[in-house]
Amino acid sequence: MKFTRSAKFALAAAASAALAVSLLTPAQAATRSTVVIHHTNVQTGLNCGLSTTNSTVCTDQAALTGMGFNYYNDKKELIKNTTFGSYKVIKNSKTDFRVQYTVAPGRVWSDGTPITGVDLLLSHILGSDTYSIEAGLGDPASKTTKPAFNGQGYGSTYHKNIVGEPVLSSDEMSVTLRWKSPIANWDLYGPGPAPVHAMVLLAEGKDGLQSASANLAAKDRFLAAYKSKDTALLKKIGKVWSEDYTITTINSSTNPLLLISNGGFIVESAVPKTSMTLVVNPKYNSGPKMTGSIDKIVFKVITDGTAAVQALSNGELDVYSGQATADAVAALKKITSVNITGGEQAVYEHWDLHYDSVEGETPYTGVFSKNGGAKAKALRQAFLLGIPRDEIMEKIIAPINGITKPLCTSWVAPGTSAYDKICAVNGSAFYTRGTQESRNKTALALVQKFYPDALKNPIKINVLVPGGNARRAAQFALAKANLAKVGFELVGDVQSGWGALLGSGKYDAFFFAWVSSSVTQKQSCSVLETTGGSNYVMGYSNSTVDKVCTELDVAMKPDLLVQKYITADRALFADAVTLPVFTHPGVTAINKDLKGLKPAPLSPQLTWNYWEWSY
Amino acid sequence: MVAFILRRLGVLGVILMGSSFILYNLAAISADPLADLRLSTDPDRDAKILALTRELQLDVIPPLRYFLWLRGVLGIFIGQPDFGTGRDGLAVLDSLALAIPVTLRLVAAATLLAAILGIMIGIVTALRQYSRFDYSMTFIAFLLFSLPVFWVAVLLKEYLAISFNDFLREPNIPFNWIIGIGLASGLFWASVIGGSRKTFWTTYVVAFVASSSLVAVLGMTGWLLDPSLGPIVVLVLSIGIAFGVTQISVGLGNRKALGASLTIAGLSVVAFYPANWVFDNYASALNIFLMVCALITTSVFIGLAFSKIDRAPIVRTTIITGVLSANLVLIDKFMQTWKPYMQTDAINYRPVPTVGERNDLLNSPDFWISNLDVITHLFLPTMALTLIGFAGYIRFARGTLLEVLNQDYIRTARAKGLSERTVIMRHAFRNTMIPMATILVADFAGVIGGAFITESVFAWSGMGTLGLQAIRGQDLNLLMGVFFVTATMAVLANFVADLLYSALDPRIRVGSGA
Repeated sequence: MKFTRSAKFALAAAASAALAVSLLTPAQAATRSTVVIHHTNVQTGLNCGLSTTNSTVCTDQAALTGMGFNYYNDKKELIKNTTFGSYKVIKNSKTDFRVQYTVAPGRVWSDGTPITGVDLLLSHILGSDTYSIEAGLGDPASKTTKPAFNGQGYGSTYHKNIVGEPVLSSDEMSVTLRWKSPIANWDLYGPGPAPVHAMVLLAEGKDGLQSASANLAAKDRFLAAYKSKDTALLKKIGKVWSEDYTITTINSSTNPLLLISNGGFIVESAVPKTSMTLVVNPKYNSGPKMTGSIDKIVFKVITDGTAAVQALSNGELDVYSGQATADAVAALKKITSVNITGGEQAVYEHWDLHYDSVEGETPYTGVFSKNGGAKAKALRQAFLLGIPRDEIMEKIIAPINGITKPLCTSWVAPGTSAYDKICAVNGSAFYTRGTQESRNKTALALVQKFYPDALKNPIKINVLVPGGNARRAAQFALAKANLAKVGFELVGDVQSGWGALLGSGKYDAFFFAWVSSSVTQKQSCSVLETTGGSNYVMGYSNSTVDKVCTELDVAMKPDLLVQKYITADRALFADAVTLPVFTHPGVTAINKDLKGLKPAPLSPQLTWNYWEWSY
Repeated sequence: MVAFILRRLGVLGVILMGSSFILYNLAAISADPLADLRLSTDPDRDAKILALTRELQLDVIPPLRYFLWLRGVLGIFIGQPDFGTGRDGLAVLDSLALAIPVTLRLVAAATLLAAILGIMIGIVTALRQYSRFDYSMTFIAFLLFSLPVFWVAVLLKEYLAISFNDFLREPNIPFNWIIGIGLASGLFWASVIGGSRKTFWTTYVVAFVASSSLVAVLGMTGWLLDPSLGPIVVLVLSIGIAFGVTQISVGLGNRKALGASLTIAGLSVVAFYPANWVFDNYASALNIFLMVCALITTSVFIGLAFSKIDRAPIVRTTIITGVLSANLVLIDKFMQTWKPYMQTDAINYRPVPTVGERNDLLNSPDFWISNLDVITHLFLPTMALTLIGFAGYIRFARGTLLEVLNQDYIRTARAKGLSERTVIMRHAFRNTMIPMATILVADFAGVIGGAFITESVFAWSGMGTLGLQAIRGQDLNLLMGVFFVTATMAVLANFVADLLYSALDPRIRVGSGA
């Protein structure tokens, strides 16, 4: 014990002596050039087109490494990337609609290989079931075997509408697609570039970058294989595409052919479940010029919410994008070094009432059934009137992003002139008029017409409550409390696997959200369309709505589109089957010094404009 | 001995088999890997169910499937172990190979520190039984015992990382802190040393003045931004170490041991500049290992040179002194690295991190900077685990030592007229170590698989994360992989504890008789 004290003295003496020589270094901050982005999910690989790799972190990273003909900005507008190339309609008739995609000359992959129209052809292999079958790559619709390119692109709009195969121009810089008709949002289904020469080289077992001539030769081999439907080579490429790009460990020993890309950044390293590092691509010329000063971007995985918030306040993270809960927002607001952007995600919460039996589900015979006629309709109206939407906004949403007005249509996003135009006349006024008090009165009157003692003997309503979600639990509690005042007793069935139970005859009402990953004309048709809606849960069928949904398959002018939406909404509100509530709030906290990062509602949410970021 | 070891290993194998069989079946029955697919609305749901059934051999009933799994595991003996594939498509063996080093790094230092600190404080509390120090340490031990790790982690991050980093921007230690640290240190040392009222206050004042002035000087000189010890402080501390180690191990009366210790301490300082030259020019783990080897050899020779009879204790003392004082040179080197480390772009004067195993942005080829980065990232998790773990050791060491001190052989030793040092260090302390060794080993094994929460709050992806992933994802192969490692560690730890027990306790003979 003694020596410790003397040691302290000695240390003090030595330190005093050092005082004479040491100079106090002022701590000055260097200019940062790196951005560390937080994600709660682990990286899933380099190819986001597989069912196992499709994740938000993958699309965020893919946006950094790949540039195509267009991208979404933070206002959900589809922006043409004219630096990379252009596309134009070259034939526009009802049965023959052709679009030509041209790559601008001089665009290169990160290994210097020029990008040409040949690089656009892989999109067809990934999207056309017909090509996959004809080339002997397997029938994507088969239930027993996987296709060689085991992606998610098959059986989609592209496959249903494409006519023949894309035509490559003689200079190999343009590709022309022919559609059956002028399909709506055709610009979303166009081709994207893929480094086919790298895939050919990988398929041939090369383990390093090749010379320029070898790269071009590889590209020619792809074109030849594509044209002649060379099953053997294409199958090998398919294996590369489906299996080799799923790596999550990336370091200096990773085959550099796998990392070839044309975005502003290229993947440098990745540690599984921990982080992925991207560095600036010096050969990048496929998109807007880099005006910012960022040369390195790291995606860091932190699953624990509190840990992420503390890491943000310690400067270990520059961007936090975690769960948007009121608690998280409160914690983030205490950090002085970050800006918080609230904003909204393209996720729409809505209440649906069961209308009729859904095919393949147990039959529905509850109180809201259309067989109940006027009585059922009055009850549906009363129920929707009784959902305390203002209170839900005020207590659940406003603390996060300050938005207090519930949605009045789910066709277009609030804040646009189309939205206001639709809401003014679409019949939603019936559910927004007056206060909740007055709406409760109207609702109670409607209920008491058929059930005079409803307040004493409330009508039992079975509701499917999505489990494992605090926000939905709170929403249900608010709805239950208010609906009790108008004669309904909500019986909640909390199910974590709720997705499979949607449409079951057991339930009278559902509430959930649908996610939109792109802006298309059809939007909410998936819940409304009698035929083919993937979220068709209510058994609702209305010829007016079905007609509108069919018409929306074809591209139309904005004014006409608004009219169609109004027509559909009027029918919906008149039948009282569904009511939108809110768009899910998003929360992103960004280092105050980092300029230009604007979170977008559509994926990629964070990285769509990386070329503008700077400190 | 060999027969004993073989017999024990055989029993361990049986235990492992039995427990893994039970766990495999329980897990297979409770978790349905097809659950999420059954609920899926995917058009190719049936095909996926079929594929997964084939891949995971779900058509075989669990008790039989266990033997399929076991066949793969038994491949260990032919050098081709196969733990199957996890649901994430990675071989379980690869996942484990990534996770085990991470967890080892996380828990090794923490367990060791907790044990050393805990045993030290435990012994002092036992020697000062029913003193103020004893009571306050008991209080602190119970306080730490009851703290949940995620909460401790949040506090540590808030104060030792975020606030400390903010403070480093302008490291002026405020006056009330200087006084506060002095008061606390005075109280600590005075309580530890104890004695009469007069000694108490003298110690208090001396410790107060020493600590306060030290903190003040460190603050004024900007030592926190550019710390170092320098050869003079290393020399002074080394001499202190030489005296301290000699006193504890053989007593200062043993002049030969003191001479040997002082010589090696002096040599460490002489080696200061050459060592730094090697550090600067040929830094690598191998070279440091070679230097440690050279150091130990030198120590042995010096010890032998000084002693003629009773050589072993003197050589031991010399080695301990040598290693400890050479450590100072190493610590000094890390201190010198502190400033360049903080100046890197990635660190940017915020050296204490709250999450992760390393800084993803730091791409320094410098051996010292990258190792310092590992150390700073270990700092908070190690501290959290140590704080929570060492409370148990305090109580255990205190209880054991008190029990030993009441034994007849201690009374006999005192009656013989042995010095208090000999009684405590040789007769009491060694016997205390016997039960401590067994819990230390078991503790280490338990911690390998059990740092779930710590890993999650500090965003480390080790065994805990893997186990969680396995349970959440109904990933039987992965779960069994994690279990296998943890269970093997546990039974091996018990085995090692048994061997240690026999090595430490002369009353137990392994392999004799039966």
